[in-house]
Amino acid sequence: MANVIVCYKWVIDEKDIRMNPDRSVDTSRAQRKISEYDKNAIEAGIRAAAKLGASPVGLTFGGTEAKQSLKDALSRGLEAVYWIGHPAAGTADGLLTARVLAAAAEKIGDYSLIVCGEGASDTYARQVGPRLGALLDLPVVTAVCDMEIDGEQLIATRKLEDCIEKVKVSLPAVISVLPEINEAPVPTLKAVLAAGKKPSQEFTLQSLGLKEEELQPGTSVTGVLAYVMDRKNVILKDGDVATRVKEFVTYLKKEGVI
Amino acid sequence: MAGTFVVYSDKTAIAIELIGFCRGSGKRAVALAFDAAAAQEYAARGAERVLLIECGQNLPEAYAKAVAGVLEREGAEGFIVGSTVRGREMAARVAGYLKWPLVSDVSKLVCEEKELVTERPAYGGAVVQQERVKLPAVVTVPAGKFEPAATSGAGAEVVTLEAQPDERTVLLERASVEKQGADLGSAEKIVCAGMGFAKKEDLKLAFDLAAVIGAEVGCSRSVAEERNWLPTDVYIGISGATVKPRLYLSIGVSGQVQHVVGIRDSRVIAAIDLNENAPIFKAADYGIVGDLYEVVPALIEALKNC
Ligand SMILES: Cc1cc2nc3c(=O)[nH]c(=O)nc-3n(C[C@H](O)[C@H](O)[C@H](O)COP(=O)(O)OP(=O)(O)OC[C@H]3O[C@@H](n4cnc5c(N)ncnc54)[C@H](O)[C@@H]3O)c2cc1C
Repeated sequence: MANVIVCYKWVIDEKDIRMNPDRSVDTSRAQRKISEYDKNAIEAGIRAAAKLGASPVGLTFGGTEAKQSLKDALSRGLEAVYWIGHPAAGTADGLLTARVLAAAAEKIGDYSLIVCGEGASDTYARQVGPRLGALLDLPVVTAVCDMEIDGEQLIATRKLEDCIEKVKVSLPAVISVLPEINEAPVPTLKAVLAAGKKPSQEFTLQSLGLKEEELQPGTSVTGVLAYVMDRKNVILKDGDVATRVKEFVTYLKKEGVI
Repeated sequence: MAGTFVVYSDKTAIAIELIGFCRGSGKRAVALAFDAAAAQEYAARGAERVLLIECGQNLPEAYAKAVAGVLEREGAEGFIVGSTVRGREMAARVAGYLKWPLVSDVSKLVCEEKELVTERPAYGGAVVQQERVKLPAVVTVPAGKFEPAATSGAGAEVVTLEAQPDERTVLLERASVEKQGADLGSAEKIVCAGMGFAKKEDLKLAFDLAAVIGAEVGCSRSVAEERNWLPTDVYIGISGATVKPRLYLSIGVSGQVQHVVGIRDSRVIAAIDLNENAPIFKAADYGIVGDLYEVVPALIEALKNC
């Protein structure tokens, strides 16, 4: 049976990030999760696989901690997950990530469709899907907000800034999907239990034929700083409503904005 | 600094800003166009050479592989692309074919001898990531980052290229979307409604307040996408609209970073929220802690009388 491969990223949960007063960023206590956008990608992949009579499988490249994602991914309805856990993921950019995912997709083989989320919720660089398409020399459709399968073709609706496009693409292809493509259901208890019995397989970089020197990212991160909002922070919380409103209006008038 | 950068955007105005960036960095700007009108415009607006691929009704992105070939033939050391849906796809596919690094959606871009120095947002805008990337490289740049190139007297040569598109994708239909809500991008004042509103009918308070001060109404993503109370084109934030009004006034918006990133360039940010610890107050110049159902009617009255 052919595969529908869904790529997902095991990201730091942004709500656990702490910003220090010196603008340094502390992620040491952060939990991880499947990137929000990828939850919709997984659901889209599962639905497409059902129509194609294919098997929906997950694929992730992350640090060794990516292993913790397998159960969550499988409980979302994927039939198997392939994963690469390597420290190089910590500094990987789109160039490196796409290289690893392309090698893994070839290793999995026999795929009719590769689905990616439009962007990851940490970097939101929105490049891995289309890059992957280029590396595999496949047709690509990004910003997909709806899709139908018609035999060996996929008809995608894409959302651009000022227009909607319908595009027909022959399979195999790579698509990246917007979160509005579906509502990703919360896995049921039954699905969570079933996930424990589903297969997962680790790929080493060696088994993918990648050499150490191919694990260099193209960009180097030289700084990570908390964004600071420099605002007046005049917050009125005391006194009755009428007084607070009056003061508020006075301030806005002084600024000349009302 | 000699060298050639190729510039592309499906929005002519952005491409002209990017030509401005190349010239300002001492690079030779080669502009890539997919229609003749844009090509003429670039020729007159500072590009040293214009390459025209006539794609007719086709998708420019379908020429990504051909464009990668063009970059190699031009000896380009940079591909500078406008950050739009089309631009991002083109940039990433070309970067994929050439195996060049790509930095997306840069908020800062400086060209040094053999490197680009960039800043871009991460974690929904909570973090600024600084990067260095060796040339050759690709970057995507949002609108408004650089001054457009000045009109050049002579006008550059326009060369028409024959190029082979990827025929595995076919455009079936293109429909322009009619804006359902206000055009927030150019609004002077915005009242923004959040999930603090208990019912759809109550949004009338936001509209009434907006009417008094002459503002447009926007909302948080949850109000548009979860509740479907307002059209999706008026939600503000990283996945929605970026706004820069003189006054942004939120009602019952908690101010999560994904939302706040869309309002950062507002001149004055004001907020009304029940919870004094709501993050929106850290992002605000002025705030009232209180129940919107008391504060907003009182505010409307106060504004009517002033
Ligand atoms: C990947 C990703 C992308 C996202 N992109 C966006 C985006 O582009 N735009 C966006 O807006 N969001 C986005 N979000 C969602 C965002 O994280 C928040 O969930 C959303 O902005 C919350 O909307 P809200 O502030 O209206 O609702 P809530 O967070 O529920 O806040 C409601 C606020 O109303 C206050 N309130 C309640 N009752 C009253 C009352 N009677 N009077 C006054 N105040 C009251 C509460 O104190 C609270 O602060 C994104 C999330 C993710 C994960």
